[in-house]
Amino acid sequence: MIEARAASLLWFPDQAGITGAGLPAGAVFPVRAKARQTPEAHVLMIEDDSSIAEMYRLQFEHDGYRVTVATTGELAVSTLSGSEPDLVLLDLLLPDRSGFEVLVTLNERFPNHPPVVILSNYGEPSMIDRGRALGAIEYLVKSRVTPADISEQIPGWIEQGRRRGRKES
Amino acid sequence: MTQAAIVAQDLTALGFVSLGAAIAYRWYRDPVPAQGMLALALITLGAVAALGRIPNPPGVLSVVNVALFILSGFFVLLFRNEFVPLGRKALMGAYALLAIGIAVGIADVLAFSDAPQAVTALIGVLVITPWAVFVGEPIVRFWLESNKLPAVQRTRMRFLSSGFGLLIAIVFVAVVGGSALRSPAAIVLTQLVALAAVPVIYVSFAPPSLLRRIWRMGEENEVRAAMQDLLIFTPSRQDLAERAAYWAVRLMGATAGFVSDADGKILATSGVDSVSAARLLSSPSGQAVVMAPLHLTEGQGRLGIVSGPFTPVFGTDEVAQLRAYANSVSAGLERTRVTERMAALEDNKTQFLNLASHELRGPMTVIRGYVSMLEAGLLGTLNEQGRKAAGVMAAKVSEMNELLEEMIETARLEEGEVTVRAVEADLREIARSAAGVVAPMLQANHQLVMDLPDRRVRVKVDPDRTKTIIANLLSNAIKYSPDGGTITCQVRSRAGTARVSVTDEGLGITRDSMPKLFTRFGRIITPETEHLKGTGLGLFLGRQLARLQGGDITVASEAGKGSIFTLQLPAVGPVPFPVSNGGADGPHDPPVGASPRKLAGTD
Repeated sequence: MIEARAASLLWFPDQAGITGAGLPAGAVFPVRAKARQTPEAHVLMIEDDSSIAEMYRLQFEHDGYRVTVATTGELAVSTLSGSEPDLVLLDLLLPDRSGFEVLVTLNERFPNHPPVVILSNYGEPSMIDRGRALGAIEYLVKSRVTPADISEQIPGWIEQGRRRGRKES
Repeated sequence: MTQAAIVAQDLTALGFVSLGAAIAYRWYRDPVPAQGMLALALITLGAVAALGRIPNPPGVLSVVNVALFILSGFFVLLFRNEFVPLGRKALMGAYALLAIGIAVGIADVLAFSDAPQAVTALIGVLVITPWAVFVGEPIVRFWLESNKLPAVQRTRMRFLSSGFGLLIAIVFVAVVGGSALRSPAAIVLTQLVALAAVPVIYVSFAPPSLLRRIWRMGEENEVRAAMQDLLIFTPSRQDLAERAAYWAVRLMGATAGFVSDADGKILATSGVDSVSAARLLSSPSGQAVVMAPLHLTEGQGRLGIVSGPFTPVFGTDEVAQLRAYANSVSAGLERTRVTERMAALEDNKTQFLNLASHELRGPMTVIRGYVSMLEAGLLGTLNEQGRKAAGVMAAKVSEMNELLEEMIETARLEEGEVTVRAVEADLREIARSAAGVVAPMLQANHQLVMDLPDRRVRVKVDPDRTKTIIANLLSNAIKYSPDGGTITCQVRSRAGTARVSVTDEGLGITRDSMPKLFTRFGRIITPETEHLKGTGLGLFLGRQLARLQGGDITVASEAGKGSIFTLQLPAVGPVPFPVSNGGADGPHDPPVGASPRKLAGTD
């Protein structure tokens, strides 16, 4: 009934977009089980703060994902030209341009780009709306989620991206 | 009748002599330079009137009298010249006219006293025409200028114009009418009309305060409204100073005005640029400037007005008024300074809150992430103590994160950036999930009882924010029940209002502390509560968020016995019969199973 995970997400989770579009609490474990079945899903993390990037990498690799980190928007775009990750985690404050600009570039240059999830320190409603309008499938405030919370949701996001891709084609 | 005519003539003469004397006295007491010419004009007129009563005057006296008469008119022109200087040519013309007038007057007295009546009348007209020009031009100008002036001055100028206008009319009628008006009745009439000019001119020079008050009445309401506007509703200091300068100019009928701050800086001007205003402030002697002090906390500022052509005509009353006005302006300036400072402080606080909390999110993410990984064993196996420590750290970091989010939400609320996204929901569900949030906080001696009805309680709210509010009420109940006890969360719906009541048996709140309860950072610190942590933002936020959704939070409490906080929200749809069979026999309607649900922190 009372699930422990809620305690860590308690204040104003709607601003992070978790509860509205997020997973029902009960679904967490099945999703995680599925994650194990996906072999070597590839996550591209666009993040300039190395302490955060390393932390996430540790968690994701532990959970069986392949992780590439791009520290600038420029690097992210060139990485995307060379490889085809299954999911993009996008920070909004980057040294060379904003995450929104990166997303716009992705939409223009790679119309079939993998699903994008925004991870930011800002939870302003206007920014969340903008991210969603640009096609991000999720917007999370970093301080409100643990690496495990993110990792657990990766298979769901990849699945969501696939369904969307099928619908479009 | 002849006797009456003589009496009337004596009376008129006496009237003008008194007028001259009164004005001479007034001018002697308060020698305003500009009024000197008017005083001279009236004194000479009085002298003319007195000399005119000497029976069979010798020729010399008649000559003097005519000259004085024309001079009296000339003084009126000079009076006007003090305010609106005449051009060089106009002044030369005036002197020439004066000479001609006096020459013709002397000739009239000496050579034409026995001339036929038509000639006498013509000569008479030639004598009085210069006088009429000297007097007529100023009074027309005064009348026109008076339109721009405040009520009292306007009325005084018009009285002056009317008085002299009356005199011109009578002089012309007397001269042109000639013998036709020599009948005693006609003399009495013209003398009485001339006499009427005396008080009219007198009040224009020295109006009694009653008259001033009456004249001002029409303007009073407008001024009062303007003052109120100025002192109470003007938002910024700058605006207030500007309006004050504008109204000072209007009230005094000045051409320009300025307000300076305690440090001598020009705050606002009206009708003058700030550079000239600064010059006037430092050396006011050059021009007719009236200044009143502004008593400000940092020192003395000034409210100054620059006289226009007609401002100093009538002085003392307006100067007193300006001083009184300056006092009000001082009070207003002080008020806006305090308000502005407070607004700036509030702004700073919000900005600080915003910045600090956003900047804290980065490090928070890393600490929280690693602690959670440590706890999960992802970074290697910890021993028993290590696991315990990781658990404590996780709880504390969580607590910190809550505070951070409260601060951000508060800052957002104060910037007016909170938007509520209301959907239809079951209040029971929201209350349950809120209980889930606070479950880890419960100690062994706490009991949390969920008293929920069987039916859905439909509300249209923002579920996450409502959950936040209820969780906050529950967490307060737990926090402020350090000695344990039962905490009841009751959900009810009646008459279009849904309610969530959180009852505890804790410390309670004293009556004195109640007003602080819902204020920002309004944490109530008592010996019992000082060791408890919190920002004091929770209830402030809760109430604000409840109100944004059309609800509210109310409280009933008794110190030492406990508190009941009730969240009210608008219910949706038809409300069936009371959902519970009354609250008298205790909590009912357990959500699952037969007994009220109890949660304990440890088992």
